[in-house]
Amino acid sequence: MNRQASHKWLWIDPRTKILLLLICVIAAAMAPNLTYEMGLVLLIACFALASGKVRLAIGGAIGYAFFYAISMFVMVYASETLQASLLAFLGLVHKIYLCGFMGGIIISTTKISEFLSAMNKLHAPKSLTIPLAIMLRYIPTIQEDWHFIKDAMRLRDVSPSLEGILFRPAMTLECIYAPLLMAASKASDELSIASVTRGIENPLSRTCYVDIRFHFTDVLVVVCFLAYVVIGRFL
Amino acid sequence: MIRFENVSFSYEGNEQEGLEPVDLTIKDGECILLCGRSGCGKTTFTRLINGLIPNFFPGKLHGRVIVNDMVISETPMYQIAGQVGSVFQNPRTQFFNTDTDSEIAFGIENAALPFGELHQRVEQTEKDLHIEKLSQRSIFELSGGEKQKIAFASVYAMNPDIYLLDEPSSNLDMDAIIELKKTLQLLKRQGKTILVAEHRLYYLMDIIDRAFYFEQGRLKKIYSPHELMALTQQQREKMGLRATDLRAAEPSWHQIRSAGATLELKNVNLNYKKQRILENINLSVKGGEVIGIVGHNGAGKTTFSRAICGLHKEMDGKVLINGTVQSRKALRKHSYLVMQDVNYELFAESVEQESTFGIKNPDTELAKATLEELDLARFSQWHPNTLSGGQKQRLAVAVSMICHKDILVFDEPTSGLDFDNMLRVAQLIKRLAQMGKVVFVATHDYEFVCRACNCILHLDENKLVESYPICVEHEAQLKKSFAIT
Repeated sequence: MNRQASHKWLWIDPRTKILLLLICVIAAAMAPNLTYEMGLVLLIACFALASGKVRLAIGGAIGYAFFYAISMFVMVYASETLQASLLAFLGLVHKIYLCGFMGGIIISTTKISEFLSAMNKLHAPKSLTIPLAIMLRYIPTIQEDWHFIKDAMRLRDVSPSLEGILFRPAMTLECIYAPLLMAASKASDELSIASVTRGIENPLSRTCYVDIRFHFTDVLVVVCFLAYVVIGRFL
Repeated sequence: MIRFENVSFSYEGNEQEGLEPVDLTIKDGECILLCGRSGCGKTTFTRLINGLIPNFFPGKLHGRVIVNDMVISETPMYQIAGQVGSVFQNPRTQFFNTDTDSEIAFGIENAALPFGELHQRVEQTEKDLHIEKLSQRSIFELSGGEKQKIAFASVYAMNPDIYLLDEPSSNLDMDAIIELKKTLQLLKRQGKTILVAEHRLYYLMDIIDRAFYFEQGRLKKIYSPHELMALTQQQREKMGLRATDLRAAEPSWHQIRSAGATLELKNVNLNYKKQRILENINLSVKGGEVIGIVGHNGAGKTTFSRAICGLHKEMDGKVLINGTVQSRKALRKHSYLVMQDVNYELFAESVEQESTFGIKNPDTELAKATLEELDLARFSQWHPNTLSGGQKQRLAVAVSMICHKDILVFDEPTSGLDFDNMLRVAQLIKRLAQMGKVVFVATHDYEFVCRACNCILHLDENKLVESYPICVEHEAQLKKSFAIT
């Protein structure tokens, strides 16, 4: 049976994704100017689109545009001293944003079992990959928890919004972290139990239901990114 | 074969809980019910077999547990996993993957089965358990019952000799319980050994070979199913056990003394992500009524509950309290949702602070009196997290009373509760009704409905199927709503 055929969107090996993330980190660190970074963000957004993450792609691009606009505004209108301190900070934001954007796409497009098996093929130690996998798995449960917590806050007349955080920061934050912490410790325990009772600690090299292999698309995507990283510097 | 050789255990840091010495043998192919009150030691018993004790829960262990020639305390978890499969209570957090097929394959992937066999096993599992239609779905769009099936399938695919199920029915509706029963019968035909720790007993009576009754960490008595069925209602309830036969459970037919607020719904439609969840609901209820919201998993009970509390956005139609139309925001001022997982709604650092949390000019006298009334005053300086499940639930109810809420909605308040605690929730809810509150309870628990509710609201297939008061004339209807024949 060919499972790859069922992928509607671009699907690449998790190992390739890690390589892409590395490329982005290096490119962001050595970016010559803002335009170059913006080009990279657009490229990442295209990658997200091809992977079927339309909302993430658009949201990520708009978010970047926002920071880009602020940076431009500061450069043109702010006084020199303000500029110096703000631009250093904003420069960092730009670089982190890039990596975070790429990381977000990778996390949302990678199945846990793919990740575990890919790590296995890289011979990464289980003591590292298992906690990482549990962490990755925990992210979507936060989303579910957040819905419940939002409901609970509204019923107590605490607004779970930006406005709430601005005007009653202590109380709003307390409302978020107290139950979230509680849920997190419970969920991580239960997730760990559910995985050890199904033999996640087995030292045998784990197999994967989804066929993990490098394909032509992997090469293509890497070449695209590398090409931009190198050629983009001369544009 | 499972052999307990004088096994006793006490948890580290919590010496009271644990298990007093047990010496027994469970033969291959036996089906054992583990029953008793919450915290009686039945979960500890299962943990001794699947290796979570001592591998995950440290403590003092004496004696040896031997499963098919493995001494559990000396065997690594992954080896035990091949022979002992465990299914847990909360289906939400026992998933490792976000799609169904990968989840079913999770255990056999760990066991490093070759690619071809993985697919064959997953396919076979889906066929055996009749869950082909759940193939290639996202975990997040499944109902509680469907999640439970996938969790079970993942263990089934590993083909263990022994199955341990910890309260498998607590999130299931009546039909899903019937399917669970069929699955257990399938396992029995395959000659598997099954241990089920459970509060709901009725569906297991014609499957089990023996029942182990635990009390305060002691295996007190071993019953045959006949002996268990033969207990009188009084004896059984004294042991803290739920009904062994739902047909024998009788509604209490208590009178409605209407007082307080009235709530009306007029032509209410509810959507979720633009899909119609519930259509054209018309309803009028008064304070003092306890309305059981029943229907299948996924019938819209949660959406309806949230809508009543003013928490659901995609809603049209009118909601009136005492004859005046309410906005969603106004509705939120009048209503309170006691969630299934109460932890989400407890924010403060002590019970006392919790009781007035978020209120601008709190009435400390009222808060004190309410805590007193709900038997929480002696814990007023405790952190809410250190309370038991029932106490947390009462604290949430206390909060609603201090905030002067007239409409209370409980979401599955008795899932996973033993008889004593179920009775306590029923009494609490009756008390709220006497105070003139409108109480809604979304539930699958027939025994609880019999004890607490005086009206039924049956939701299914995007509609309000029927609503009726619980009285002698409607008994047949009530039983039908719960698939009791």
